[in-house]
Amino acid sequence: MRPYEISEPPTDAVSALKFAPDAPTRFLVSSWDKHVYLYELSSEAEGGKLIEKYEHRAPVLDAASEQTTMKLLLRGWIGRINLESGEQTVMSAHTAPVKSVVYSKEHSLLVSASWDSTLHFHDLKHPEKEPATIKLPAKPHSLSITASKLVVAMASRLVYIYELQSTLMLASQANGATTELQPWQQRESSLKFMTRAVACMPNDDGYASSSIEGRVAVEWFDPSPESQARKYAFKCHRQPDTSGDGTDIVYPVNALAFHPVHGTFASGGGDGVVALWDANAKRRIRQYQKYPTSVAALGFSSDGKYLAVGVCPGFENDQEDYSGEGVTKIYIRELGETEAKGKGPK
Amino acid sequence: MVGKKKRGHPDVEELLSRPWCYYCERDFDDLKILISHQKAKHFKCERCGRRLNTAGGLSVHMNQVHKETLTMVDNSLPNRQGLEVEIFGMEGIPEDVSQAHNQRIIAGFYQAEAERRATTGNPGPGANQGNQSKKPKFESPTDLKKRLAEHKARKEAEKVAGTSSGGNTPRVEGVQNSPLGQSPSSFVRSAVDLTQALELTVSQNNASPYVAPQASHGASQGAGYGSFSQEPYSQPAAAYQQPYASQPPFSGPPGAQFQPQYSPPQQYTPSQSFPPPGFQPPGQNYPGGPPSFGAGSPPPGSFNGYHGPPSNTPPAHGGLPNRPPSLPPAPGLPQRPSFGAPQVPPYQMQQLHQGPPGTSFQGQQGSWAGNSWKGQDQKPAMSSSYPPHSQGYGDYSTNASSVDDLVSGAAREADDIDEIIRMAEAGIKPPKKGEAAVPPKKSKKDKPQKMIYSDNEMSPEEKMALMPRYAFVPDGKTETSLVDAATIPGVAGTVDA
Repeated sequence: MRPYEISEPPTDAVSALKFAPDAPTRFLVSSWDKHVYLYELSSEAEGGKLIEKYEHRAPVLDAASEQTTMKLLLRGWIGRINLESGEQTVMSAHTAPVKSVVYSKEHSLLVSASWDSTLHFHDLKHPEKEPATIKLPAKPHSLSITASKLVVAMASRLVYIYELQSTLMLASQANGATTELQPWQQRESSLKFMTRAVACMPNDDGYASSSIEGRVAVEWFDPSPESQARKYAFKCHRQPDTSGDGTDIVYPVNALAFHPVHGTFASGGGDGVVALWDANAKRRIRQYQKYPTSVAALGFSSDGKYLAVGVCPGFENDQEDYSGEGVTKIYIRELGETEAKGKGPK
Repeated sequence: MVGKKKRGHPDVEELLSRPWCYYCERDFDDLKILISHQKAKHFKCERCGRRLNTAGGLSVHMNQVHKETLTMVDNSLPNRQGLEVEIFGMEGIPEDVSQAHNQRIIAGFYQAEAERRATTGNPGPGANQGNQSKKPKFESPTDLKKRLAEHKARKEAEKVAGTSSGGNTPRVEGVQNSPLGQSPSSFVRSAVDLTQALELTVSQNNASPYVAPQASHGASQGAGYGSFSQEPYSQPAAAYQQPYASQPPFSGPPGAQFQPQYSPPQQYTPSQSFPPPGFQPPGQNYPGGPPSFGAGSPPPGSFNGYHGPPSNTPPAHGGLPNRPPSLPPAPGLPQRPSFGAPQVPPYQMQQLHQGPPGTSFQGQQGSWAGNSWKGQDQKPAMSSSYPPHSQGYGDYSTNASSVDDLVSGAAREADDIDEIIRMAEAGIKPPKKGEAAVPPKKSKKDKPQKMIYSDNEMSPEEKMALMPRYAFVPDGKTETSLVDAATIPGVAGTVDA
């Protein structure tokens, strides 16, 4: 099935793309153009519709949604927008831009990670409470959450894994004060280069992480040696140099997303390629045809029926003259029944 | 040393008869492997991993199943990507391509053979021991006696005349009476040549198994003439080493002639400039006597043992094993100057045949043997779709981007086949699956790469965020006022569709 394009894409680079947890046809796109976009996939013929566009005063680096309200973050602030009324409230403030935000339905929890090297835990059941702050040893690059765990990938190849239950308890006891909560596990990334993205398996078993050096690693939470022995990494998103001197051009792997039903995952790289992988069988399921520019964000809908791909030119090298205008696109790929299904071990 | 057979490297006919793949010019042990190689590498659907029999079949499959058009054959050499030729195994290869392939094999064969000989010091298979007759020519005892008598008579006469044949060669009396009437000095000169040749052979062939007979040959001769040869003309042997060392044709493009290259005539002039009768020392000068000469030293012809085997000289014949010589360089063997030089043409030859290697060939004899099998690896690595491991996906260096190996069971099988092929080619028994990933790993890691984003400290987003145009727009309001601003409905630009 051919992917189709969303008609009114953001005007600058895409920073994140997230489907609503309860509405499989709605998704948010946050962009460097200082807006957050809410799209609705109505029918295939019409393509995606832009429902709402929320303006902010700084680029929006990530967004997360819960039912009818959504969280988003912009430089230093975590905002909450009521999607019905468009009402925006500020939930907390970081002292530096906020890189990522995730939302846990199970715990009514919103976690934000900022370049001020802190995590903020927002208890949405008690919005009046100050968020708990957890100090991180380095700047966070990516966050991912499951029903029970939170994975924070940071600079210096650090990866912290928090157990939400106990962390929440401790955090609530801290009562808004800054704490030095120790994570459940501290790991070093199994990739040698800077972590670009991290995504947790929907079955809560483990997570995948990707680096700027065209690699993806898959590992498991279970600290037992058997489970740890299962972890692996592989190269992807690289191409032989066209000059033919045997050099590989290695692209960063910008986005990872797990399929909520099949447990497979998609990776999107700077080469404009989206590939589907089966983490357990260690196989590539398929690779889609190249998009014209770099893949910046990926998201599966909650029912696993759609894969949304945010595409914009990479801003790896020339940030000065960068403009994503006109070339930023959102593609929707409607997946066949078994398209993203793993093949299972041979 | 002549009779040794089968050193693990095939001869030309064997090489020429090997099946090879049109698309990547690789050769295989048998047709079945070739076909499975083609199915796995060239005729596999990248969408579903299905392996078709031909490019045409794949094209139809892609068209019908995936609604895509196949434009080129995967993993093929740049000039072989076309779909117009229908290839199955060895069938369908155009005549000219096939001939070019054979030419390459032939050229390469000579190259490899030369390398092999350079490394081992052994003559090639079937090499005879030179052009000259193997039997040393001996004078019959009667001739010898006769000459002895003549010699004695002449000596007698000289004594009577009170003359000496040459002041500078007082000790050569016995020899100067050579019936050929050579002038003493020219004789000495030749003798010096001989000794130098001796030195030469010794110095060059030190540890080589081949050297022993030569040395002993020279030694026995030298013993005979040792008394005079060294003093007057002890030129450095280096002067002679020169022509020997710089045998350019040897490292040059092979295929035509080995004979001249292997038999540098200069050093061995003695054996030619001395017509055997004159050369033959009189009995008393040669303590061992003729019989011992024959026994203690091999035929003079053995100097020419480097002659290429006549059977291999016809240029139209022969071929290159595209594989490393299976004999590693003898460990104790000093590198010979002539072969230590970089050999560009052969290198290119290898390259041509094996596809652009990443790193492997240094063109030195030592590394040739050691690395060439890596070089074979490089070819897959180049096309980046052949992670040769079977379990390697689990390891760090695996290239899953091409990951045909991940796609399906078929792919995995194919890689196993590949692995086996490679192992077989390198003379290694197929290892246990778990070990399979080990040797190719390194070469893959060595592969140069260019990272699009290589700053390991700061993410692109952080850099981007520093750009002024992305700066937070301060509108003079404090944090709390953001709420105000945000709650104004107009701020959220509504673009309802």
